[in-house]
Amino acid sequence: MDIELIEIQEFLASRPPFDQLPEETLARLPKHLSVRYFRRGTVFPPEDADQSYLYILRRGAVELRDPQGELVSKLAEGDLYDMQCGDAPQDASYRGMTAEDTLVYILPCADLSILRAEHAAFAEHFEQSVSNRLRKALDVMVDTPNAGTGLMTVRVRDMVNRAPITATPETSIREAAKIMSAHHVSSLMLMEGEHLAGMITDRDLRNRCVAVGLSIERPVREIMTEKLVTVDLETLGFQALIAMTRLNVHHLPVLDGKRVAGLISSTDLTRYQSANAIYLVGDIHRTNSIETLIQISAKITELQVHLIASGATANSVGQAISAITDAITLRLIEMAEADLGSPPVPYAWMAGGSQARREQSSHSDQDNALLIADHAQPEDDAYFAALAKFVNDGLAACGFIYCPGEVMASNPKWRQPLRIWHKYFANWIVKPEPMALMLSSVFFDLRAVHDPENLFEELQERILERSRTNRIFIAYMTANALKTRPPLGFFRNIVLIHGGDHDQTFDIKHRGLVPIIDLARIYALSAGIPETNTIERLQVAAERGVLSREGSANLIDAIEFIGTLRMRHQARQLRNGRGADNFLSPEDLSPLERGHLKEAFLLINTMQESLGQRHQAGRFA
Amino acid sequence: MPSLLDWRRRWHLRHAPPGPLRDYLEQPFAHPRTDYRHQEYLAIDLETTGLDSRRDLILSVGYVIVRGISIDLSTACHRVVRIDRSIPEASAVIHQITDDQSAQGGELIDVLTELLPVLAGRVMIAHHASIEQGFLSHACKRLWGRELFTPRVIDTQVLAHRTFERRQIPFKASDLRLHSLGSRYNLPRYGAHNALSDALAAAELFLAQAAYRDNGKGLRLGDFLC
Repeated sequence: MDIELIEIQEFLASRPPFDQLPEETLARLPKHLSVRYFRRGTVFPPEDADQSYLYILRRGAVELRDPQGELVSKLAEGDLYDMQCGDAPQDASYRGMTAEDTLVYILPCADLSILRAEHAAFAEHFEQSVSNRLRKALDVMVDTPNAGTGLMTVRVRDMVNRAPITATPETSIREAAKIMSAHHVSSLMLMEGEHLAGMITDRDLRNRCVAVGLSIERPVREIMTEKLVTVDLETLGFQALIAMTRLNVHHLPVLDGKRVAGLISSTDLTRYQSANAIYLVGDIHRTNSIETLIQISAKITELQVHLIASGATANSVGQAISAITDAITLRLIEMAEADLGSPPVPYAWMAGGSQARREQSSHSDQDNALLIADHAQPEDDAYFAALAKFVNDGLAACGFIYCPGEVMASNPKWRQPLRIWHKYFANWIVKPEPMALMLSSVFFDLRAVHDPENLFEELQERILERSRTNRIFIAYMTANALKTRPPLGFFRNIVLIHGGDHDQTFDIKHRGLVPIIDLARIYALSAGIPETNTIERLQVAAERGVLSREGSANLIDAIEFIGTLRMRHQARQLRNGRGADNFLSPEDLSPLERGHLKEAFLLINTMQESLGQRHQAGRFA
Repeated sequence: MPSLLDWRRRWHLRHAPPGPLRDYLEQPFAHPRTDYRHQEYLAIDLETTGLDSRRDLILSVGYVIVRGISIDLSTACHRVVRIDRSIPEASAVIHQITDDQSAQGGELIDVLTELLPVLAGRVMIAHHASIEQGFLSHACKRLWGRELFTPRVIDTQVLAHRTFERRQIPFKASDLRLHSLGSRYNLPRYGAHNALSDALAAAELFLAQAAYRDNGKGLRLGDFLC
């Protein structure tokens, strides 16, 4: 047999899905190919072909456009054009054109069918839609953890193993306590028929009954907690852990559909070793010294590396790290209050940016602000200035560097009574100037970390009411978001950074994550969705019908995929004792990852286009 | 009406000994007025011990059929020829065929007996075709006593030369090399230097040159011939 088509064989062997073919099949494959050449600007696929082919780009580039002339896909070296070989009749409305001088290998569809019939792994590539491929890539990435079992993979279903202990809300407190003792449980779920009405814990018996001298003959309804956060059987152990950490509770009811399936406690979770996030949070709650907080936060980096190694997705890691930042912030606030005394008027500590979105990676910048009750007197500001300084300095000492834009509570501009905040937002929304747009990623992702009097709720309602009804504002935000496009052509080296420290890389955060975060923010603001987390925003946007289910699911997969690539890149750097950055080299990725990343970029691009059209962003571009 | 070329082919045919050479001449040559898109070609490259077709020897042959504007890789063929002397180091550096590999090769007569029917009726494509023409012709003369008559040849180097001249693009001799021209047309660069990959590179170069000349109004084979 000839050796010589070896270079074509090697070219194919390095590309998915041909990398799935066995060596001997690959060796024979070049003999089934023909070669064609098209000048730049030639109609693609060619109209003069004698039959239907799979086109494999060897050199050059092809652009595919929809009937409106919008770019829907760009094929580059190694990419396939398989529309002629599909099972469904091909969509003739897409028009392609070579964007460069292009050399292709062509394989008759009949030969492709044979290969697909004989090689299942190879065939899979053609059977999946783009979104399925992305989802699968993510699964592969997170399903190969170094530590076999752990909270990343175990589901709540596997930790709830006994029938729930229940009573009715009309049971007396005494009777309820007896039931709990008899079953050795520290909490009791209260049912009205099939419906979960509430829950009591040992703590409730102590605080709401004994301590206040309530008669133990009263119905337990009077001391139960009614607004319950629940998890379901399919929730990952890790997500349950995050929920507990966030709410600072130790029990969560588990639902199976609408039926109560049981209860899960923090003890159930801490049996799994990768629960060290909750240990960190527990340590934070217990300490009284800033030195200890600094020591604990030094472990965040280690936690990030560990979580990624055990198969966590970017969102899980972001949730865990943000939960820890919240806990540190809260602890610092408590320490400040212990030092300065009770606040003269109620206030809320607000976090902005990635902390608000629960998407932090280890040691992001700090973005925060203070919301003070309107009846504060001018002299009260001294108290809040001191509190803000204490907390900002504490966070900085813990490695959360001062925000370069000075968006911190210690800056008087961002330490204001509610009425001024209303005015700020009214202004930004009515006059979305560049300054406002610059701040939008901080202040339109806003969440209260400490807010005992619920001041934030009113502010948020007004912001969403204004943003929802102001179409010009949304159009401005959209136009601004569309300025950051994914580096569609980076395989062609055209948008890699040239020169300097980041030569031949691209910024995966700025070009990949930020566009999705921006899209989700616009969906949220235009539909009045209060969620701040990007994935939650996209989910709710689909529920409200402002975004298609398909589009929402695809964007969630895309951000998880890109985010996880980024986290892995950072984990690699951290393991090598280097500082983490966002500059990824295409060479660090496998061809498959590169392919998926490109699909994710194309998807973002498509979603940007459609949002731009809906909100007429062109008027403000 | 039979063309002058066809008359000459039949004259050669009458004088050729029975065998591969005669069979080759049985096939009429392509007509220059044929639409180039409907013609078949054979892109060919030889590796030799030197450049003198009278003294040097063919070491290997690579070829692939081009059907109109599509290269048919199923026809790709590469043959190493056994020679009766050691390979000069100067040429071994280029084609990397060692004495051992050559010793495993086929006899020249078998290689040419296989090649000639494939070439018959097709237009030869080669880069700097006079080498291929010269060596094949001389080999036939030694084997069968008659030179190989190859009147239908496309030389991709000559085509490139014409393009440079017509467009008044200044060029150096090295710009006319196969790989330099390939990169001008965004063609893949093959690392290995062997007869088949060079034949394939010449075939691809021809497709590119044809695509650049073809303005959709139709081109004739004669527009490409030497």
